Amino acid sequence: MKIALTGNPNSGKTTLFNAVTGKLEHVGNWAGVTVAKKEGQIRKALSQKNKDVVVVDLPGAYSMSPFTSEESITKDYVQKENPDVIINIVDATNLSRSLFFTTQLLSLNIPVVVALNKSDLTQKKKNHIDVKKLSEQLKCPVVETISTKSSHNGLDKLIETVMAVEGNKQISPFNESINESVKEEVEASDKRRYEFVKEIVKASEFKNNSNEKEYLQDRVDRIIANKYLGIPIFALVMWTVFSISQTYLGPFLADLFVGWIDQFYGLIESAMGDSVTPVLKSILLDGIIGGVGAVVGFLPLIMVLFFLLALLEDVGYMARVAVVMDRYFKKVGLSGKSIIPMVIGTGCAIPGVMATRTIKNDRQRRTTAMLTPFMPCGAKLPVIALFAGVFFNDAAWVGTLMYFVAIGIIILGALIVVRITGEKDAKSFFIMELPEYRVPNLKRAFISMFARGKAFIVKAGTIILLCNAAVQIMQSFTWKFDVVLEGAESTSILASLASPFAFILIPLGFGVWQLAAAAITGFIAKENVVGTLAVVYGITNFIDTEELALISGTSEVAHVMGLTSVAALSYLMFNLFTPPCFAAIGAMNSEMDSKKWLFAGIGFQFGMGYVVSFLTYQIGTWITTGSPGAGFIPGLAVVLTLVSLVVYLMYKGNRIAEEKLLTA
Amino acid sequence: MELTMKKSKRLSKKLNSKQVKNIGLTKGSINVPYVIQAIEAPNEAMRNFLFTLGCYEGEHVTIISKLSLNYVISIKDARYSIDEDLAKAIII
Repeated sequence: MKIALTGNPNSGKTTLFNAVTGKLEHVGNWAGVTVAKKEGQIRKALSQKNKDVVVVDLPGAYSMSPFTSEESITKDYVQKENPDVIINIVDATNLSRSLFFTTQLLSLNIPVVVALNKSDLTQKKKNHIDVKKLSEQLKCPVVETISTKSSHNGLDKLIETVMAVEGNKQISPFNESINESVKEEVEASDKRRYEFVKEIVKASEFKNNSNEKEYLQDRVDRIIANKYLGIPIFALVMWTVFSISQTYLGPFLADLFVGWIDQFYGLIESAMGDSVTPVLKSILLDGIIGGVGAVVGFLPLIMVLFFLLALLEDVGYMARVAVVMDRYFKKVGLSGKSIIPMVIGTGCAIPGVMATRTIKNDRQRRTTAMLTPFMPCGAKLPVIALFAGVFFNDAAWVGTLMYFVAIGIIILGALIVVRITGEKDAKSFFIMELPEYRVPNLKRAFISMFARGKAFIVKAGTIILLCNAAVQIMQSFTWKFDVVLEGAESTSILASLASPFAFILIPLGFGVWQLAAAAITGFIAKENVVGTLAVVYGITNFIDTEELALISGTSEVAHVMGLTSVAALSYLMFNLFTPPCFAAIGAMNSEMDSKKWLFAGIGFQFGMGYVVSFLTYQIGTWITTGSPGAGFIPGLAVVLTLVSLVVYLMYKGNRIAEEKLLTA
Repeated sequence: MELTMKKSKRLSKKLNSKQVKNIGLTKGSINVPYVIQAIEAPNEAMRNFLFTLGCYEGEHVTIISKLSLNYVISIKDARYSIDEDLAKAIII
């Protein structure tokens, strides 16, 4: 048996889905969190005798005529996949809009059960809905639910009702036979549909409070989304989140955690004794435990960050950020909606890139998909934390700076793209539903945190483990499969593979094979940068267990790497602002839906990373030592070539824009 | 050819002057419920989308506040933030 969950955006479909299946899909208090179809088996306690019940969570839609691509997923599913029962989740605080879609669903001849969700909020507003009357008029069962609650939430009754209607026919309360291909007829019919919905609402809803006057939340919005205060408030919120996760609570938890990893290392080391060959021992200890441990050591920091971000999403702040950013993003040819993929991208670029689906305009969507990976994601955090700790004593400003550099690059990138495409005069509209604020649910934030933490550990235990083992092996052997001798590290397979790349990186200040190798493994997963550095430099862990400092032997680690602070910053920027990991590139590919855009995007990301690192290293070295750094002239030649290419493309784009103006 | 273009321009000017009592939402006052006269979004997809939200001629719209060049409006029972261009397209 297949049950489809449908309803308007932000009506609580995924929350209900998680509650009935026990899954941990991402939820948030704004429209458009879910952009893909998700399936799950119903929990045993709810399924009764019926064993095989699959629930399908669909992206939100306002009607059967899709506006954005994720809405068409919903339409296609209910029309083509023949679900046995449709649960239509109706936001009880907005009956008159939600029921429009409901009446369309009712005409599909699939049994529909309406879940009148957020029924606690209607009561709070002192409004009342006559459920029995509503059910009679819609000709389908209506069950009141509160999917955010863990008990007395009406879900048992909902599922019971769903089981009971399986196999029934569905009578449609609103029937009109019209010619679908005649636009005017469809429009007129839809208007009559809305009139029909209005009649239903009039008969079953009793309101004491209208929505048209100003409420507390509107006054809060005036401050939070204020013309002048909006950006500083956003910056302050983000800074608070990162300083809690990276300077205070995060490192404290990390210390505890790394202690355990150290003990584990010691345990394995003593267990192996002398019976194991040194090469195998070093693959196991330094390659696997050391490399993976170095990455996993950052888990507490990341979990704290995820927890705080989950709280922010739950409050309803994200939609306001989109409003604040809209006027700035509009100037560079994007829309405020582009900020949401970027904020999600701070967790992981893959769901971030997928979230671009809610953007209607093709160019805006593709540009956003191309620029979202610049945002430092969870996997890049260990890299930031490592460099901030080793080369800069204060961890908070480096991290915060990286986010603002990312935002700067994104704005610059958008500006360049809109000029290259010749669409700088194109108009676009912005509309965003503002959800009601609510007190964040701690339990849900914990669930979200653990789900993401688990994903992080799984990744560390699979991809990162394999990569580190491979790096360790390549580092331990020469091409003739002899063990690399001490002092002759540059004869290893790894060194010979990475050296050509290191050559290109000389003008950026880090032209050594170890750092090049770490940057390359970073394309598989960004956490690998930390893992590989740990392996190639033989550092077992980066976090001190004794002092409350993030990194042990700070100056020692810095010495081993042989980098100046400026070169370290340049290396950090290179890792953050070059193309993301392969998985994120895959997501870019599917959302952009154009190979031309994909390759242009990757090329742009490489160019941007190179130029930013070059400028950081050369200007920084100039300021600190009075003369430019190594490889200045060849580097400058590369950078000037890249810049002139972009300028030429922008010039060409401007010509297209002028032609468009002339013909318009 | 040129003549007909000029003619049509003049014609459209005339039409505009006729509609002078209908103004965009940008000129509206806060907290006054208005009846929507027309939606003049240039692309049909946006018009249809607004329709599904219940934003079409004959329906009510209220401006709740103006925030950083965006307008917070109330349609049916929901709050939306729209930008100035879209607000201009909603004729009241």
